Amino acid sequence: MNEIKTRKQVPIFCYQCVAGPDLMKVEVEDGVATRIESNYDIEDEHPGGGRVCVKAYGLIQKTYNPHRIPSPMKRTNPRKGKDEDPGFVPISWDEAMEIVGQKIKDTLAGGPLDESGYPKIAASFGGGGTPTQYMGTFPALLSAFGGVDLGFGAGQGVKCYHSEHLYGELWHRAFIVAPDTPHCNYIVSFGHNGDASAGVAGIWRHADGRARGMKRVQIEPHLSVTGAVSAEWIPVKPKTDVAFLYAMINRILIERPWREICDMERIADDSNAPYLIGPNGYFMRDSVGLKPLIWDLADDTAKPFDAEIKDPALEGAYPCAGVEDGPDGQRWEHASVEARPAHQKLLDHIEPYTPEWAAEECDVPADKIRKVADEFIEQATVGATIEIEGRTLPHRPVAILLGKTVNNGWGGYNACWARTLLLTLVGALEVPGGMIGTNVKLNRPADDRKTSAVINRDGFMEFPFNETSKQEWQAKPHIRNAFRTLVPLVADSAWSPALGPAHLPWLFQKRPPENWPKPTKPAMWFCYRTNPAISSWNAPQVAERVAEFPFIVAFAYTHDETNHFADILLPENTDLESLQLIQLGNTKFIEQLWGHEGWCIRQPAGDKVVDSRDMTDIATALAERGGILEAYNKAINKGAAGMRLVTGDYDYGLDETRPHGLEEIWDATAKAASHDMSNGENVVGIDWFKEHGYMLRPFSKLHWYLYPHLKANGIRFELPYQERILRHGTQLAHRLHEIGVEWWDEQLEEYEPMPTYERFPDIWLNYVRDQGGDPDAFPFWALTARSMQYSWGANVGIPMINEVASNIAGHKGVIINRKRARELGLEEGDPVTIQSISGETRGYAVLREGIRPDTVLMIGQFDHWKTPYAKDLNLPSLNSLTDLSLKLTDSTGSGSDITRVKITKGDGPKRAAA
Amino acid sequence: MNEVDSDMSQRRWGMVVDVNRCVGCQTCTIACKHANDTVPGVQWRRVLDVETGTFPDVERVFMVVGCQHCAEPPCVPVCPTGATKQRADGLVTMDYDLCIGCASCAVACPYQARTIVHDKEFYFGKETLQEEAVAHDERFGVAQKCTFCIDRVDDGVAAGLSPGVDPDATPACAASCIASAIQFGDFNDPGSHVSRLVEENSHFQMHAELGTDPQIKYLYETPAVPGRDLTEADTGDEAMSDPANPLVGQPQTFWDMRAAMNFILGGFGAGMIVVACLLYLFAGLDGATLTRMNLGAAGIIAVGLFFVWLKIGRKLRAPLAILRPQTSWMSREIYAVGVLYPAIAAGFLWQLPSLHFLAGAAALVFLYCQAKILHMAKGIPTWRVPMMPAMLVATGLYEGVGLSAIVVAVYDISFEGGFLLPLAGILLGLINYGLWRMYVQGAEANGIGPLSRGILESSTIKLNVSGHLIPVALFAAAAAWVAVPAWVPGAAGVFVLIGGGFWKALVITKACHQQGYAFAKFPRRGSGSLAAPSIMDRD
Repeated sequence: MNEIKTRKQVPIFCYQCVAGPDLMKVEVEDGVATRIESNYDIEDEHPGGGRVCVKAYGLIQKTYNPHRIPSPMKRTNPRKGKDEDPGFVPISWDEAMEIVGQKIKDTLAGGPLDESGYPKIAASFGGGGTPTQYMGTFPALLSAFGGVDLGFGAGQGVKCYHSEHLYGELWHRAFIVAPDTPHCNYIVSFGHNGDASAGVAGIWRHADGRARGMKRVQIEPHLSVTGAVSAEWIPVKPKTDVAFLYAMINRILIERPWREICDMERIADDSNAPYLIGPNGYFMRDSVGLKPLIWDLADDTAKPFDAEIKDPALEGAYPCAGVEDGPDGQRWEHASVEARPAHQKLLDHIEPYTPEWAAEECDVPADKIRKVADEFIEQATVGATIEIEGRTLPHRPVAILLGKTVNNGWGGYNACWARTLLLTLVGALEVPGGMIGTNVKLNRPADDRKTSAVINRDGFMEFPFNETSKQEWQAKPHIRNAFRTLVPLVADSAWSPALGPAHLPWLFQKRPPENWPKPTKPAMWFCYRTNPAISSWNAPQVAERVAEFPFIVAFAYTHDETNHFADILLPENTDLESLQLIQLGNTKFIEQLWGHEGWCIRQPAGDKVVDSRDMTDIATALAERGGILEAYNKAINKGAAGMRLVTGDYDYGLDETRPHGLEEIWDATAKAASHDMSNGENVVGIDWFKEHGYMLRPFSKLHWYLYPHLKANGIRFELPYQERILRHGTQLAHRLHEIGVEWWDEQLEEYEPMPTYERFPDIWLNYVRDQGGDPDAFPFWALTARSMQYSWGANVGIPMINEVASNIAGHKGVIINRKRARELGLEEGDPVTIQSISGETRGYAVLREGIRPDTVLMIGQFDHWKTPYAKDLNLPSLNSLTDLSLKLTDSTGSGSDITRVKITKGDGPKRAAA
Repeated sequence: MNEVDSDMSQRRWGMVVDVNRCVGCQTCTIACKHANDTVPGVQWRRVLDVETGTFPDVERVFMVVGCQHCAEPPCVPVCPTGATKQRADGLVTMDYDLCIGCASCAVACPYQARTIVHDKEFYFGKETLQEEAVAHDERFGVAQKCTFCIDRVDDGVAAGLSPGVDPDATPACAASCIASAIQFGDFNDPGSHVSRLVEENSHFQMHAELGTDPQIKYLYETPAVPGRDLTEADTGDEAMSDPANPLVGQPQTFWDMRAAMNFILGGFGAGMIVVACLLYLFAGLDGATLTRMNLGAAGIIAVGLFFVWLKIGRKLRAPLAILRPQTSWMSREIYAVGVLYPAIAAGFLWQLPSLHFLAGAAALVFLYCQAKILHMAKGIPTWRVPMMPAMLVATGLYEGVGLSAIVVAVYDISFEGGFLLPLAGILLGLINYGLWRMYVQGAEANGIGPLSRGILESSTIKLNVSGHLIPVALFAAAAAWVAVPAWVPGAAGVFVLIGGGFWKALVITKACHQQGYAFAKFPRRGSGSLAAPSIMDRD
C-alpha cells in the first residue's frame, strides 16, 4: 500500500432507505474516501446497535464511479425518445443556473398554474421521503414556486405499504406499523419482508427476538429472506391473504368462545363494537347531541357512548329510537327500529368466512389456519401486564404484519382492516408487545403521534379527511393525480401528493378520462433521486410519457433511463460530498423506535471527484436566478430545510434579501436545532456537528404506545365499524356523478363499513380477459420482492453491491419452482422471456424450491437500458410487465405489484457461471 | 504483527455464528471487503443462501463461511515456505512475502477459504482513485484468506480494548453484523460471550469429522426453533448433485493441467528410475543403459517440474519452497529431487551400484512425496482418500514398467531378466485395476460427492480398457509368446502411460470437486414437514 500522509474518520449519516438514518464513519486517506464503517459511538443508543447495512458500503464506489456525470450538461438534440441520442454537452455551472433560473422566471411569469389549473412546475422524488434527507434546502425552493405538482409518482402507491399508510393513520396514528419487537413473542407475517426492508433496526430487533424465542409465521407465495428465518413458512396462493385473515377472525369469533379468549375490556370499552348500527348502515345516534348510542343491558336502554354504561350489548338486536346521520346531511329518524351492535354486525359479517372456505381460496389447509389463529390467541396473553419505565401497561406480545402486495391495491383495505381488528380483539393495538404505529405523515404535527390524537364527536380520533361534502369538495383537481378530489382518506399534508393515486398522471397523460380537466404537461419538471422510467408500473410506458415533457431538469448522478430525456443535467454532490443536518431518533418507520432523539449530520468526507455541487447551493442559485430568493429564504426560516430558524424562543433567521452560503445556512440550522434540543443551554454551530456527528437527548419509551393516551382521553379505536368511510364514499360517489365522472365507480364500491371478501386473484385474470387475452395463456403469478442490497439506494450501477447481492438467490434472474421449470424444459441459467398481457421482460431462470409452482418472482427493479453497468446485468423486472390501469387501481389510488405472465425459453446462451 | 506475546498464547480466538439470527444481508461480506481491501470477486467472508428440501417441504438457511482458523489447520503443514502459520492464539496467518502461490494450502482447506488472484482487475474496468489508494500489490499471485482481522485484534489489544466487546478490536464482519449473528471472542476465556454462547446452546462445527477443530461454531436452535438431524433430502445425491446448491463444492481450479503434468510426468520418470534400478539390481540390466534411462527419466521429471513452476503465482520465489521439509511434502519432494539428480549425474560419471541404488531410492521417495502432496489436500475428497498414496505409487511403478517397456522396445534393448518386465506389467496392471476399483467403489464411503463420483464412474470403463485390460493383455501376450514382436510390450507400455496420465489428469482437473459446505444440524424451520413445531404442541 501507498504511504498515507493524512487519515481521518468523518461521521455522517446514511438515509438510503426509509428505515434510516443510520450513522457511519468514512475513512479518508489523503483526501480519498477509502472505507465505510458503522459509527459504533452510538451503538448503545441506536435501536440497530449503531450499525449500517450493506448499502452504506456501496457509497465509496458510488463516489468514485467513473460513470458519474462530470459537470452540468445540456441537451443538444431537441427530439426526445428512447432511441434518440440526447447529445448532452458539458456546460458551466453558471450557464446551467442561468438556463434553469431563466426558465423558472419565464414559467412563473403568468402565475404558477396553467390553463387546467395545474401547477406549471412539477417535481418527482424517489420514494419513502428518502430524497428529502439529501436535498438540502431544495424544499424551500419548491415552496417558493408558489405551487408545484408533486403527484407524478415513481412507483409510490404500488411499492409502499399504501393501505396501511392511510388506514393505519386513521385507526391508530400509524403511517407505518411495527411490532413492539422487544416485547413481542408471536408474529404472523403476510409477506412482510422485514428482514429485507425494515432496515438495520428491524433486523437487529427481530434477530434479538428470535434468539429470545419470538416465533414468526411467514405466509407468502415464495420463501423470502424473512420467510427463511421464520419458524414456519406457509405458501399461500398470491393475493388471497385476506381469506386467511378473515378465517382467523372466524376461528376466534365464531368457532371459539370469543368472550373467554378476547380482551373484552378493549372490545366493549375501547372500540366501536358496542355502537348500535341502524338499518341504513349508520350509527344510531341520540337525536339531541347526535352521539352514537350503545345498548346498556343493565337497564335495557340505549345511551350515548360517553355515558356511564354498565353492561354494553355486543350481540343481538335492540329496539331503539334515534337518528342515523347519513351522507350529505341525510337523516333517518327512527322512533323505534331494530338496531344491532357493530360487534353483532361483525359476527354476521365474518360468519361465512370459515377456515374451510378459506382453505379453498388460499390453498392452505383449514387446520393450519386454525392453528395460527389459536397460537395468536394463546400468545396474546390477554390480561397480562408489563412495566415500562415504571408504568404498568397491558402486555399483548402478538403482531400481524402485511407485505406490500398484500397491503396495496385491491384487498388492501380488507387486509388492513382484518389485521387491525384481530389486534383489537386481543387488545394488542398500541400496547407493549403488540402492534404500534411509529409515525404520522398525514396527520399533524408530524413529530408527535399523540398530539394529533384528539377526540371527535363520535369518540374516535379526529382525522383530516379531504372533504366530500357538496360545499367543500374540491371538484377541480389542484394537481394532476387529484388526490384531494378522489381520495378523502389521503388527507392533505406534504406527503399526500405522493400518497394519492401517483400513477394516474402517467395514465391520464395517455388516456385522458372523461369529464376531467385536460391533463396538461408540466412546463418544467424536476426529478431528483428517482428513476420513474424504471421504478413505475409499466415503466416503458412511463418512459414514453416522460419523453413528452417539454423541459426536464434532472439532478443526475450517472446517465439513467429518466434523465435520458432531460434537457439539463445537474450533477449534485453525492452522499459523501454534501452537507445537511437531519433529525434522528424518536419513533420512525420502520422499526426505528428509540429511547433518544436528536440531530445528525452528513458532511463532505473526501475531496471532490467531479464538478458537482451541493443541493443547497444549487437551490440557492436557482432561487436567486429565478427571482424568488426572498420567498426561498423565508421558507428556510420557516423550517423548509427541517428546522425552523425563527420561533418565539430564538431567532437564528437568515436575512431574506440576500443569498446565503451552504455553511451559513446549516450553521443557523445547527444552532436552532441545538437550541431547541437544550432549551437554549447548549447552542452549537455546524462545526460541532462536523466533529461529533450527532446530538441526542432522552426520549421516553412510553411515547411508543398510543393506547394509554387514548384511554386517558376517552378515545376509542374506530373498529370494527367504518361509518366515516361509508359516509365519505357515498358522498364522493354523489360528487363524482354530479360532474359526470363514472370511471371511478369500481373504486367507490370499496367504501364499505366492513369490507366484504372478493376473489381478488380474479381481478388480474379478468384483466387479461379484458385486454383480449386468454388467462390460461398466462399461467403464472409474477411477484416481486425487496432486495435489501439494492432497494432505494440508486446503486444498481455499483459493481461491489452487485457482487455481494449475487450471493442471495434471485439476484441473477427470475425465480421459478424447480419442478415446474423442468416441466417447461427450463434449467438453471437458461435465458427466458417473461410476458404479460401488457409487456415483456427477459432474464435467466433461477430454479428454487421455495416458491409455489404457480408463481414466479423477480426481485428488485431492473431492466435498465441506459444506466451504466446496470444495463449489462440482463436482469428482468416486474415493472416491465405490470400495467397502468384504472381497473387495477383501488379506491386509495394504489395497485398491487402482481400480474399474470407466461414464461418461455429465450434465445441465447445460458447465464455465465459466477 | 505476528509476534506472539505470552498473553496472546493464553487465548483462542474464534467465532460463534447463530444461523437463526443471520438474514443473509451480506453486510459482513461487504464490511470485510472494505476493512480488508479485497479485489473484485474475492470474499474472505461469504454468506451462502442455502435451500434444502422439495416444495412444499422447504427450508432456507443462510450460512456464514470463511476461514475457520482451525485448531488443527490442514493448510499449515502443507505450506512449503512457512507463509501460512498458526499463532499461539490460534489465528492462522498469511505472510504474503513468503508465499509462492503454489496453492497447496488452498486445496488443503476443506472450507474453500482461500483465493489466489493472479491478475489485477478493477470494479469498473479501470482503477479508481480509491482502488489505487487501497491497493495491495503484495497479494497478487499468492494465497489470501480471512485473517480474523488480525490487525484490528492486535492493535485493539495493544490499545487495551477487548476483542469481541469493543467493535474497533473486533473483526469487521462480526462488528458490522446487523443481526448480532457473528460473535467473536476468546474460547479460552470461559466468561467470554462466545464461550457462554457455546456453553448455553447446542452448536456444531463444520466438517468436524475431518479433525480440523474449526473455530467457528454454529448455533442452530432457539426456544421456538429446535434443531433437526440431517435427512436424505439434505445430503442425498440429488441435493449434492446440483451445482447451483451452494453447499456443493465446485471443481477446484487452483491446480490445472500444468499441475497435473507434474504428477503425470513425475510418475512416468520416477517410476522408470525405480523400475530401471530394480532391473539393474535383479534382472541384469547393464549400468550404461540404466544411466541412459535415468537421464531420460530425469528429463521427463524436469519437464513436469517446469510445468508446475509455470502454474505457481510467484515464480521467482520458487526456491523458497525448500523451507518447510518438517511438514511439507512439497518441500520434501524438492529435497528428493535434490538427491535424485546428483545421484543420476554421479551414476552417469562413475557407474557405482550404490549411486544407482541411491537414484532409485530417491525416485521412490520422490514418487511417494508426490503421492502425499495429493493425499494431504484435505479440501478435495477425491484426493485425500487414504489409498491415494498407494494408488499414485502403484501407478508410478506401473508407468515405470510401461515406460521401460517402451524404451526396451524402441532401443531394442535386451537383458537377462527381460521377461520380468511383462510379468511386472501384468502384476501392476492387476494391482492398479484393483486399487481403482476399490477407489471408485469406496468413493461414497470416503466422502466423495456424487458429482466427482459420477465422473469417476463414467470414466472407469475407459480407464479399465485403455489402462488395464489392453496393456495387461499385451503384457500377457509378451510373457506367453516366445517369439513376440518387439512392439507388443512397447505398445503395452504406451497404454499404461495413457491410462496413468488419463486418471491423474481426470482426478486432478475434473473429478476434483472441493469439499463444499455442510450443516451438521439444521434449525427446524420452513414449510410443511420442516416447519417448527406448533406452540400448541409444545407441552
